[in-house]
Amino acid sequence: MVDENKTVEANDTAAVGKWPEYYKNLMAEVSKVIVGQEDVIEQMVVAMLGRGHALLEGVPGVAKTLMVHSLAQAMNLTFHRIQFTPDLMPSDITGTDVLQKDPVTQELGYKFLKGPIFANIVLADEINRTPPKTQASMLEAMEERKVSAGGETYPLPDPFFVLATQNPLEQEGTYPLPQVQLDRFLLYIKVDYPSLREEWDIVRDVSTGSIGERALNAIKPVLQADDMLEAQKLVTRMPASEQLIGYAWSLSRASRPAGPKDAAAPKSLEEITKWINWGAGPRGVLALINCSKARALIHGRYEATVEDINWIVDSCLRHRISPNYSGITSGITSEDIIKMLQKEIPSDQKFARPTA
Amino acid sequence: MSQDDVAEIAKWKTAYGALRTEMRKAIVGQDHVIEQMTVAMLARGHALLEGVPGVAKTLMVLALSKAMHLSFNRIQFTPDLMPSDITGTDVLQEDPVTHVPSYKFVPGPIFANIVLADEINRTPPKTQAAMLEAMQEHMVSAGGENYALPNPFFVLATENPLGREGTYPLPEAQRDRFLLHINVEYPSGSEEWEIAEKVTGGELGMKALDSIVPVLQPDDLLKAQELVLRVPVSDQVVGYAMSLVRASRPGADAWSHHKAGSDAPDSITRWINWGAGPRGVLTLISCAKARALIHGRYHASMEDVNWVIGPSLRHRIGPNYAALASGITSEEIIDMLLEQVPADKEYSVPTA
Repeated sequence: MVDENKTVEANDTAAVGKWPEYYKNLMAEVSKVIVGQEDVIEQMVVAMLGRGHALLEGVPGVAKTLMVHSLAQAMNLTFHRIQFTPDLMPSDITGTDVLQKDPVTQELGYKFLKGPIFANIVLADEINRTPPKTQASMLEAMEERKVSAGGETYPLPDPFFVLATQNPLEQEGTYPLPQVQLDRFLLYIKVDYPSLREEWDIVRDVSTGSIGERALNAIKPVLQADDMLEAQKLVTRMPASEQLIGYAWSLSRASRPAGPKDAAAPKSLEEITKWINWGAGPRGVLALINCSKARALIHGRYEATVEDINWIVDSCLRHRISPNYSGITSGITSEDIIKMLQKEIPSDQKFARPTA
Repeated sequence: MSQDDVAEIAKWKTAYGALRTEMRKAIVGQDHVIEQMTVAMLARGHALLEGVPGVAKTLMVLALSKAMHLSFNRIQFTPDLMPSDITGTDVLQEDPVTHVPSYKFVPGPIFANIVLADEINRTPPKTQAAMLEAMQEHMVSAGGENYALPNPFFVLATENPLGREGTYPLPEAQRDRFLLHINVEYPSGSEEWEIAEKVTGGELGMKALDSIVPVLQPDDLLKAQELVLRVPVSDQVVGYAMSLVRASRPGADAWSHHKAGSDAPDSITRWINWGAGPRGVLTLISCAKARALIHGRYHASMEDVNWVIGPSLRHRIGPNYAALASGITSEEIIDMLLEQVPADKEYSVPTA
């Protein structure tokens, strides 16, 4: 048994060692189409390896669709884009039973026509423009990785990864996702404008057609669906040290204001919790650990470190922490709260499993 | 109580132990919540589950339905959900052979043994009412026909305390229809550490659900529900439960007129708007009996009453403005009740 564990570990370490090469090839393909945005793409891959879904926020026109599409192409995965609108119905996403006549026997029967959600990578564009029932059917399929229609269940393809984009919330005619639903996304990724130099290159190259949409066909698959599935299992098997768990655990618990019967946050952090309406639940802890392991894999490290957590913490927790009214009126955002937590909980202190 | 019943009760302690063993394959801790859910099922009631997101509410209900071999459906309540989205609807269908059109009832997601009604307070009142009616009557009416729901039938509804905007809170009278109001807290420090360690390593959680084997059958549960009715309760326990409930009702109105049906001391009256009705006493007794069964005891005790009082009365006591302003919750009023109502006094059948 011990020997067996050693073999698994040795094999895994070797498999992890191959990933920097894979990732370099992937980025080489994607950069045929996209200028910059390395951090955003890395976070998307982290979410995929962590078997989660991601919410993408950014102003229009920062190549969100293009990024997702080129990743799908480089990974040889099927890709669908669903444009959410105020009049979209649940069955427009999941699919529906249609009455069909058998061409031979002329008998009538129901046949399930798969909706656009049946793809490896789904871009759910402007998910907050659609009414709640349609949002709910999307979120349910995401969570359960299957679709039910007419009493039958249809499994979604594997790997299955949803990237949802949100319109800026203050816009009219939006149905904001409730905070509870946000918690179902592993990562909340922010896409910024490109840097000065990047935007210069974009202008130069897109207008000549050498990058951007027209270049999508030039992307060759460098990974296969099976590689992704193997990597997801590998991430699960990768070890999590006490230091890693302890840091994730401390950050999440310290983000919860002490309720009447639940004093999760230590006394020394009360100064921070006075700005918080609610904090990260257990899903936050799990997200931090999973994503730091996935990032370590991309960089070819068998063991994730607290540095990996620091790199991913914003995207893991920004949608799981909400400032209260005094926080909002003082202009404190959830990102500010995350910074305060990082400052108060140094990642280089020694973490140990609690005794009770 | 017959000899058979005594033997049955003894078996239940083992059965509950087996149930817990199965559920531990997927869930860390939350012993109280799981016991309270089982108590509600055995007492033939439904439960309201309150807690922040991500504390494994869905997982718990799923694990329970698997270990009990019951069918399970989850309904996500949204502001645009319609009653027929829950109960089902008549559709026009053509007979494949005769081509005669006729109506056929397509059952909605409520047709399952265990239904998780997620975020019930996000849906408008008419849809809430359709759900609550089906819960109460154990059947659905559509197109002039009645369709019986499966038996056992158990609804667990969640209400999210967060993001209260755009929610339609359940009226107090509707909350009263839930036998228990169960609070799900964050896991303790060491429990959360264990969750972090095991779930990210592929143990526990949703992935572990497949390893849960049924240790009970639907029939066992139906028999147990009957058995709970026959578990004896002493006058002492009934008297104690009644005193607790009567002490939760405001004792005097603003003009100091004593109100019938209340024995509340002034120290409690000053904090309450309204207290628990007769359903409160019934809940305390039937849940105490169900809990006795789980523990393999032949009668319900005072300790059982003390254990179920939180989830039994939490949603049936309304603190007044003075209490809200002083930060006194219904939980704290329950603590006061337990302090004020003596357990060691001798209770007997009242003469009038």
